[in-house]
Amino acid sequence: MSLFDKFDAALQLKEGLADIGKDPTDVVFDSLISATEGIVKGRRTILAGTNNYLGLTFDKDCIAAGVAALESQGTGTTGSRMANGSYAAHGALEAELADFFQCDHAMVFSTGFTANLGVLTALLGKGDVVLLDADAHASLYDGCQMSGADIFRFKHNDVKSLERRLERLKDRASRCLIVVEGMYSVLGDCAPLAEFVELKERFGARLLVDEAHSVGVYGEHGCGVAELQGVLDKVDFIVGTFSKSLGAMGGFCASRHDVLGLFRYISRPFMFTASPSPAVMATTREALRQLRTRPELRQTLWENASRLYNGLQELGFELGPEISPVVAVRCKDRQSALANWNKLLEAGIYVNMMLPPATPGGASFLRCSISAAHTPNQITKIIKTFAEL
Amino acid sequence: MTFSTEATGVKLAEILSEYLKTNCADTPAGNREITAATNMVSDLQLDSFQVMEFMLEVEDHYDIAIDMESLSNIQTIQDLAAVVITAHND
Repeated sequence: MSLFDKFDAALQLKEGLADIGKDPTDVVFDSLISATEGIVKGRRTILAGTNNYLGLTFDKDCIAAGVAALESQGTGTTGSRMANGSYAAHGALEAELADFFQCDHAMVFSTGFTANLGVLTALLGKGDVVLLDADAHASLYDGCQMSGADIFRFKHNDVKSLERRLERLKDRASRCLIVVEGMYSVLGDCAPLAEFVELKERFGARLLVDEAHSVGVYGEHGCGVAELQGVLDKVDFIVGTFSKSLGAMGGFCASRHDVLGLFRYISRPFMFTASPSPAVMATTREALRQLRTRPELRQTLWENASRLYNGLQELGFELGPEISPVVAVRCKDRQSALANWNKLLEAGIYVNMMLPPATPGGASFLRCSISAAHTPNQITKIIKTFAEL
Repeated sequence: MTFSTEATGVKLAEILSEYLKTNCADTPAGNREITAATNMVSDLQLDSFQVMEFMLEVEDHYDIAIDMESLSNIQTIQDLAAVVITAHND
């Protein structure tokens, strides 16, 4: 037994993927044409797997803001905010996020993954308890495990399952953090947050919601699923990312609790990571401004999502449980998912391939994520290409 | 109410057989005989998601909570029986 034996399984996976055709973990975009089109292996390809929900990555004002920040403040911050100090834009974005989520505090992290690690390790410690949705993102699992808290899972989106586990905790419920997502990224299904809020209040627990895929997508003002379900002011901690609707990179936490202001003194993933660069801050701030002032982006996104979902449903594909900007097409097995993913790419459509064990129910999916920037013609082409599989 | 390791192992084997019939019918694990010594990963080739799903069934059956740290030490039905009895007695 050697140190490297554990890589045998990864090698088998890599070789298995290569046997089918293009390795889905190794797609290269030679160049980008727009938010929804790129060149892959010399072919114009519609991008339907980028989580670019509002299509802002090529917005001229976002780009101009980024260029101006690059020219005036340089390429990077070259260190953490604890060691090197903050740029004015870090604080400005935090104030804008707090205002957006109608709460007192917000904190910016360098990635969405780091935000979850940073928040969970600051908030939780030995003796605390986490009740974690079984389908939660890897960053939530890892943050909970790093914290040293006792972790119990409950069935995905299952109110009864959560309630039973809260009952079993008895007195420990007051030291419990419930950890869920707003919209889940594989199937595009949403958490019953209003019911979860009722439970956490009844048992004296706290609730953290990861709205990574739902900010800019759900709610009257685009704040996410908590806003849609009327419980934005009841959620204790909202975490999210700048890398989806906001088209940049980074993460955040927003909260009405004063303790968030203390996280920066104890959160190691925050303290020991270089802070987001000036260009990232600038494009994120401009994208957030547009998210707040251009509701038509959300309207177009939902029209596009409905068009794709209904089109694929009419073709008889088995899809996720509700219309959302994530449209997941269930495949009969792993091999058919791999084969069809390759056929789509060869036909100029890029989607994500989701294979077990990183999928609900151990199923294989072709996952499309739709954008406000997709044109009706592009969506028609995606549907037509699926029809030819 | 107290459980014996043997009786708990038999019941867990039943729950696992049912889970496999429902969720893994088209794999070799679907019809495999389950004993106390059955290793869920090396014998049945269950992936981490399937093991987690099965554990949630077990938690609900016994009305117990098994923390994730305990789960990482479970390989066989016998291992699981010991964890179930500890959780139940807690």
